[in-house]
Amino acid sequence: MKTTLLIAADSIRALLHQRLLLGVMLLALVMIAVFSAALVAQRKVMAVAIADQSEAEAPTGEKSLGKSEAGAPKAGFPAGGQRLSKEQRKKLAEQMDQASSFFQATFYQVASFGGSLVSLFIFSTAVATEIRKGTIRITLTKPVSRTQYLLGKYLGGMAVMAGYALIASAAIVLFARFGGLELSPTMRYAPWLMFCRQFMLGSLVMLLSLYLHPFVAAVLAFFAGNGFYSHGNPLFYILPSYNAFNLFNEMLQGTLMNGKDVLLLSLYAVDFVVLMLLLALWRFRTKELV
Amino acid sequence: MPAIRIENLGKTYRSGWRRKAGVAALRGLSLEVQEGEIFGFLGPNGAGKTTTIHLLLDLIRPTSGSAYLFDRPTGDATVRRRLGYLPESVNLHDYRTGRGLLEFYAALTAIPPAARAGRITGLLKLFNLEEAAAQPVTKFSKGMLQRLGFAQALLHEPDLLILDEPTSSLDPVGRKEFRDILLELKRQKKTVFISSHILSEVESVCDRVAILAKGELARIGTLPELSAPKSIKLVLRGVPEALIGALAATTAEIRIARGETTIKCSDEATRTKVETLLTDRQVAVERTEVTTQTLEEIFFSAIASKKEP
Repeated sequence: MKTTLLIAADSIRALLHQRLLLGVMLLALVMIAVFSAALVAQRKVMAVAIADQSEAEAPTGEKSLGKSEAGAPKAGFPAGGQRLSKEQRKKLAEQMDQASSFFQATFYQVASFGGSLVSLFIFSTAVATEIRKGTIRITLTKPVSRTQYLLGKYLGGMAVMAGYALIASAAIVLFARFGGLELSPTMRYAPWLMFCRQFMLGSLVMLLSLYLHPFVAAVLAFFAGNGFYSHGNPLFYILPSYNAFNLFNEMLQGTLMNGKDVLLLSLYAVDFVVLMLLLALWRFRTKELV
Repeated sequence: MPAIRIENLGKTYRSGWRRKAGVAALRGLSLEVQEGEIFGFLGPNGAGKTTTIHLLLDLIRPTSGSAYLFDRPTGDATVRRRLGYLPESVNLHDYRTGRGLLEFYAALTAIPPAARAGRITGLLKLFNLEEAAAQPVTKFSKGMLQRLGFAQALLHEPDLLILDEPTSSLDPVGRKEFRDILLELKRQKKTVFISSHILSEVESVCDRVAILAKGELARIGTLPELSAPKSIKLVLRGVPEALIGALAATTAEIRIARGETTIKCSDEATRTKVETLLTDRQVAVERTEVTTQTLEEIFFSAIASKKEP
């Protein structure tokens, strides 16, 4: 176990020194930041609209929606200064709630997609790069079994992905707080399922990278599990499905999964990862490493 | 117990989807290396030396036969506690410093934490890497990498060292230091298996050598066992004129200087004839000088014997 952890720690160190990986992570974070800024700005415009309307409703208020004090139309609202009816205000409040859910769901989707890219990169190159560079030769002439080595590499990748999931989740929470949004209840388990999805993707791409070029393995793993085949397609029953782990619709509609479903999905992910790792170990035990 | 036992080892590299076409890199290799021996493993490029080493390290799988280290299968990870390896091209984790790398390998080889710092410092000093130890490995020159590679191989004080072209990137000073280290290891009764192109280096330190050609074992043994006598010089004094005439009738080369007669026999038949003549005339040989083949000559004759007609 100690040896596996040493390999995992070394793997984390190696990953944190990978410029390309850091570039991908940075890109994902920049995507999140830009997206957040845009969403928060849009949210502010809507909040200002409601505030203006409340002001207009007040007994002393003579201001109208869609106009600033100078009388110029406000961005995003119809000019003309007409007051909203009670129904219109209710509708606007509903739209605000929907927008809040949409913002968080989209944010989650972007973070999840970025995580998938990072996961594909980490796990497709974890072993393949060491074989290509020849660094594996010295490591495996130490008292390290191939099983310990492969599991160590996987654990190292998992740790980096867990870090990514934590950062992404913290970003969603912060985004909701600073944007004045009510945090979606789906966020209670969404990061965990995002994490599960990326582990599944990682285990599949790691297995494929032991047979194929890392890039080909990454492309295949991505398309193998992203539901580009319908229920009627035999591939649906053979290949993994990551769609169940995508909570975009749940976040959008504000529906909650029950605990049993979350547990079943988690068990499916664990089951899948174990199966992929067993296959990868079987392959790696006989793989020529020069 | 032999440190290395190889039995009928063979390796064919297959390629293509159907894995039918193949190149036989090694065929039926059998040899043993005893504990405490310094064993030279020679052969031209493509002879199968590195393939043999990779099989011993379990980095590739044999097509036939088997190999054992200290009587344990090469795939047994525990036996690698007693093994140190220096590859031909030293590729190390470039995200670590020289010292950091040795610390990582020390942890992998389960060197007690209390002993690590001292041992690492000692090795860095031995290989003149103290100043560079804090630098990332990416800044190391080829020679420095080779020395760091050697340091990691010695780190856990292994009983068996497998060195693949250990001095290929070293300057003459580095080679001299390497030879001194090998002699020290020999004194400590460590087993060393060296694959090298530099025959003089092998000749000066190895107890036995094996020569590989075209994936097969061409020769194996100690240098005296392998070297055929090239010529024998018999030195005599007071040789009668009549005997000189008889000797001149043979193919032997005769030289007379300052009352000393030197008879050089280039082959065994000439030597027998000369010795018969000397015995018949009851002339005593003052001294005999045997010139044997150098390792380079043995090497080339072994390679030639394996050349296809």
